Amino acid sequence: MQQRRILSEKQINAELLNGNLATPKWYFPVMGVLGTGVIIGFITILYMFNRGLGVTGLARPVYWGLFITTFVFWVGISHAGIMISAILRLTQAEWRRPVTRAAELLTVFSLLTALFFPLMHAGRPWRIAYWLLPYDFARGIWPNVRSPLFWDPIAIGTYLTGSTLFLFVALIPDLAILRDRTTGIKKGIYTVLALGWRGNPRQWQLQVVAGILLSALMLPIFVSVHSIVSWDFAVTPAVEGWHSTIFAPYFVIGAVHSGVSAVVTMMCLMRWLWKWNNYIRPEHFDALARLLIVVATAWLGFTFLELIFSLYGRDAPEIALRELQIFTWPWNLIFITFLLTGYIIPVGCWLFKRCRNNIAIMFWTTILVNVGMWLERFLIIVPGLARKQVFVYTWEGYWPSPVEWIIMTWSFAWVSFLMLLFARFFPLVPLFEAKESQVFTTEMKVGRATVPMVIRE
Amino acid sequence: MVAEKQSKFKWGMAVDIDACNGCQACVIACQSENNIPINTEDNFKDARGIEWIRVERYWEGEFPNVKAKFIPILCMHCDNAPCEPVCPVYASYHTVEGLNVQIYNRCVGTRYCANGCPYLVRFFNYWEPEWPESFQNHLNPDVTVRSRGIMEKCSMCIQRIRRGTRDAKKDKREVVDGDISPACVQACPTDALVFGNQKDPESRINKMKNDKRAYTLLDHLKTNNNVWYLAKVDPDIEAHHGDKHHGEGNHKEDSH
Amino acid sequence: MEKVITRRILISEELNNQERFNAATSSLVSTTKEEMGGKFKIVFGIFAALSVMGILSLLIKIFQGFDDKSSWGYYSAIVSLLFGVFGTAPMVAIAPMIAKADWHRPIARIANMFTAAGLSSVIMIFPLIFALPPLVVGGYRRRSIWFDANIYTPHVFFGLAVVGLFLIGLGMLWVSSIPDLAAMRDHSTGRRQRFAKILSRGFVGTERQWISLRARIGMMSTFYFMFLIFVHILYSINFNLELVAGWKDAIYPMYHAMTGIQSGIATVMIAVYLIRKYYKLEDVIRIDQIWGLAKLMFAATIFWFYFFICAFMIFWYGKSEINVMTIKILVNGPYMWVFIGAFLLSFIVPWWIIIWNPVRKNPPMLVLVATITLIGCILDRIRLFVISWQVYGEDTIHLRYIPAEDIPDNMIMPTLLDGTLFVGFISLGIFMFLLMSRLLPIVSIWETHQSILLTKHIKFHRTEVYAVGKPD
Repeated sequence: MQQRRILSEKQINAELLNGNLATPKWYFPVMGVLGTGVIIGFITILYMFNRGLGVTGLARPVYWGLFITTFVFWVGISHAGIMISAILRLTQAEWRRPVTRAAELLTVFSLLTALFFPLMHAGRPWRIAYWLLPYDFARGIWPNVRSPLFWDPIAIGTYLTGSTLFLFVALIPDLAILRDRTTGIKKGIYTVLALGWRGNPRQWQLQVVAGILLSALMLPIFVSVHSIVSWDFAVTPAVEGWHSTIFAPYFVIGAVHSGVSAVVTMMCLMRWLWKWNNYIRPEHFDALARLLIVVATAWLGFTFLELIFSLYGRDAPEIALRELQIFTWPWNLIFITFLLTGYIIPVGCWLFKRCRNNIAIMFWTTILVNVGMWLERFLIIVPGLARKQVFVYTWEGYWPSPVEWIIMTWSFAWVSFLMLLFARFFPLVPLFEAKESQVFTTEMKVGRATVPMVIRE
Repeated sequence: MVAEKQSKFKWGMAVDIDACNGCQACVIACQSENNIPINTEDNFKDARGIEWIRVERYWEGEFPNVKAKFIPILCMHCDNAPCEPVCPVYASYHTVEGLNVQIYNRCVGTRYCANGCPYLVRFFNYWEPEWPESFQNHLNPDVTVRSRGIMEKCSMCIQRIRRGTRDAKKDKREVVDGDISPACVQACPTDALVFGNQKDPESRINKMKNDKRAYTLLDHLKTNNNVWYLAKVDPDIEAHHGDKHHGEGNHKEDSH
Repeated sequence: MEKVITRRILISEELNNQERFNAATSSLVSTTKEEMGGKFKIVFGIFAALSVMGILSLLIKIFQGFDDKSSWGYYSAIVSLLFGVFGTAPMVAIAPMIAKADWHRPIARIANMFTAAGLSSVIMIFPLIFALPPLVVGGYRRRSIWFDANIYTPHVFFGLAVVGLFLIGLGMLWVSSIPDLAAMRDHSTGRRQRFAKILSRGFVGTERQWISLRARIGMMSTFYFMFLIFVHILYSINFNLELVAGWKDAIYPMYHAMTGIQSGIATVMIAVYLIRKYYKLEDVIRIDQIWGLAKLMFAATIFWFYFFICAFMIFWYGKSEINVMTIKILVNGPYMWVFIGAFLLSFIVPWWIIIWNPVRKNPPMLVLVATITLIGCILDRIRLFVISWQVYGEDTIHLRYIPAEDIPDNMIMPTLLDGTLFVGFISLGIFMFLLMSRLLPIVSIWETHQSILLTKHIKFHRTEVYAVGKPD
């Protein structure tokens, strides 16, 4: 399974720092395109602030639409980091090593992006800063701790802080390498960031312990973040299809599905853009795809449980909702696309080893998964609100306005922009992990076969 | 709850559906009393119209044996309101007098309360409200003009309640039934809407809510509504089912 | 004494692989050949007697009739527990195998052998199926995941599912022990050899046979896993959820499966501890295995809480009549103290003990934790099942929710018959397990060979480490 490659430390340094010590040719054109997208996005956001939420397609009763969908989507993507680096670290999966940093980075940046959406989607975002951030002690009016929207920023804030710390702790040894290989002002910055790393045993020990402690501490946060996001919906008994007990684990497993898929997409890009073929190898894709099959199947199981239990109650409004969601145009098209892209096509491909080892197929299938997962969130949020229910009297379709589409597209450009910006200054594949994996793997002969071995303490 | 016991008032409303003829006078009265922006055709097309009280119309039967049924829906001022706990800034708030009110100043416009409301009687201001030039002097000075980006909803004309209690206090007397009436109650030509203090045993509302026809909407959600409905007396149904339907919360669902 | 010495050889560094192979084969095959010790015979006899008692109580229970639904609460709780402790125990072998973890090899057989113990749930389920009300009750069709199907659909399908699970489990046990049966065929004589010869189906260990064997084991295990989850889902819905009008809880089937897995891990933990002690297998079942089990158990404990809180949170926050009723039935109703006991013993206490790493490497402590967890699981099943059969009523089942006045104030206490059923059928499972342990090596020989091949101690700079091979 593992085609081990013996690489010298010098070669590892040279190859993995190729994007940091020099600028690749494609870098500025790509950044230019993404930058334009980012600027257009910010202009649109300012326009929306200026005019009010009337410029969106939201209406009564669909009070939440594309923004919240995209918020949930990005929070979902952010589950990649901890899944890959914390859970796989605790279970000692060797193949996690080259992708840990990229996954954590994706976590940090997607969380940062996700935070934009609830703020933007509020009617008076400037008031949030006024009422929520400095607690209004003077008048004795506290934020409402019973509101899931109050738990949200706390959970996401904790997760963001933890992930950033996690990312930073893992970055320190590499920062020291960069410090030793740069000059001038850059060297100064790297020196400060490297915190005097010399690579002595005590420092290594601290770094490893910090990593393990942070992974163990992050796990409950990892689960709670998306559970709380799901409770934004699930605590509302008034909306059919939202008030379901399965929502928290359903959202978490869906988030892992989309997050890990996003990491695979990113791995393909890293392999193509920086030519890190020695580090990101087909065996890594193979292992991730196997993991994804299990996750995706569990997720599909939850999806069907959720569906069955919505019909189980035999409540007319609930059945009407499902009829809208599954059988009514255009929702039926979205629903079928969601099933095909979220599960059937990708998992159908991943069942074959040839596909799992094919980078291009992995790239496109994981993109499909995220299309499907985005549609899933849309299908949960919007039809539930556009409900035909007793005493609602108004039930409306909802079609997002151009402003919403632009802002959603902006979020993708923004995350890519940040990732590339980071990649210019810091290595995306952890150097020390690559070296550690060189040391920690060995081979043995069993009969005629050569079997790769992993060293365990 | 403690504060509620201390207050002398617990406001409530009763709606006699049998008396309602769907004339929409209450809607218009509410509109002008509470400075609600004019609902133009475009607003309705965008599904962004604001009606603190609305008259829902249901058709029953096939032509020519068709019947129209009307039911005015306004905020139920639930004692156990789903919109209250979800607001992150406490903008949705329960007064000691049993009213569920919106603090416009605190609202940040998350619209979470609107999702929580099973009756959809909370409205969001998508645009800055605008009135024609000639209307500028018609606005009610007692009611805030809501800016864009916040939720608004029926307040049971809290400005009238305040004025009524204040006047009574000034005259050194108790508030008596009929002293206070919200705009919709005042405008109702058939007297289908009745407003009053539930803590006053002699009030009309107390008598009506104990009527055998009385029920509250969506009982199973246990929101403990303060608006009661008195079921329609339909001779055809009476002949068939007798009293079977009375007091059932899901009575109306059948007529959908 | 000699027995102990041969087993020590397994990890001796002085021997080459072939010698260690032989030592492993002969010592592990001998676990089935050894004369039954006096103690073993007594234990075997006791469990056989208790099983007979269980079956007799079952007959009495059947003669008492199926009309009084509330008397079947404890019965269905026992069946649910059996699915947990015996049905899910093989998961301990399957889950790490799917995750390609290497620590499960020496205990995989022990876990797999519990599939035979599933016989007790197969016997117990059929009377319960007769007690299950049809889909149309009192002229109304009750809420059900079978929707508009024939009114006896759940009965038929559930019977098939349970028998299917048992058969798949036995198949999995058989497939995963074919190489061992071949070894027994070659290393024993007489009746035992004939038995092994028939079951090993001409396995001689060619490359093709191994490849197809691996594929079969993988497929059987995955299939068993899926089927098990399916049975848990069906059982928890049909025999529990559907009996309570208005209880709509999509996470509950998963909760049921998860708590089943938790009790399965606890069972395997106790079994591994006893077997390790009785057969003196300390060198084969090392602390690694115990540690791995403990970590699984820790994860399961947290999952218990997570799935519980997911449901509770929604009911508690929702506050509608349905939600309030559900909480009253499951948490703060007549079974509040049972719930508190379950909460403490399935979550708080084991979680707090097992969170400490030294405890996770201490077998006697882990047995204590496993016992506590099992008691917690029993209480948990009682709080869920007994009340469901208690509140079931032909006139209320089709309502939107059970009216507050219909929720009972007092809990039903178990009768003597429930007690004998419980003891009897747990004993039947253990009896089946002991029987299996006489037929098959208690530790899989071929997997022991595999770990001999694939692990070695190597020098690593200044220390010695343990390296594990990871073939595809």
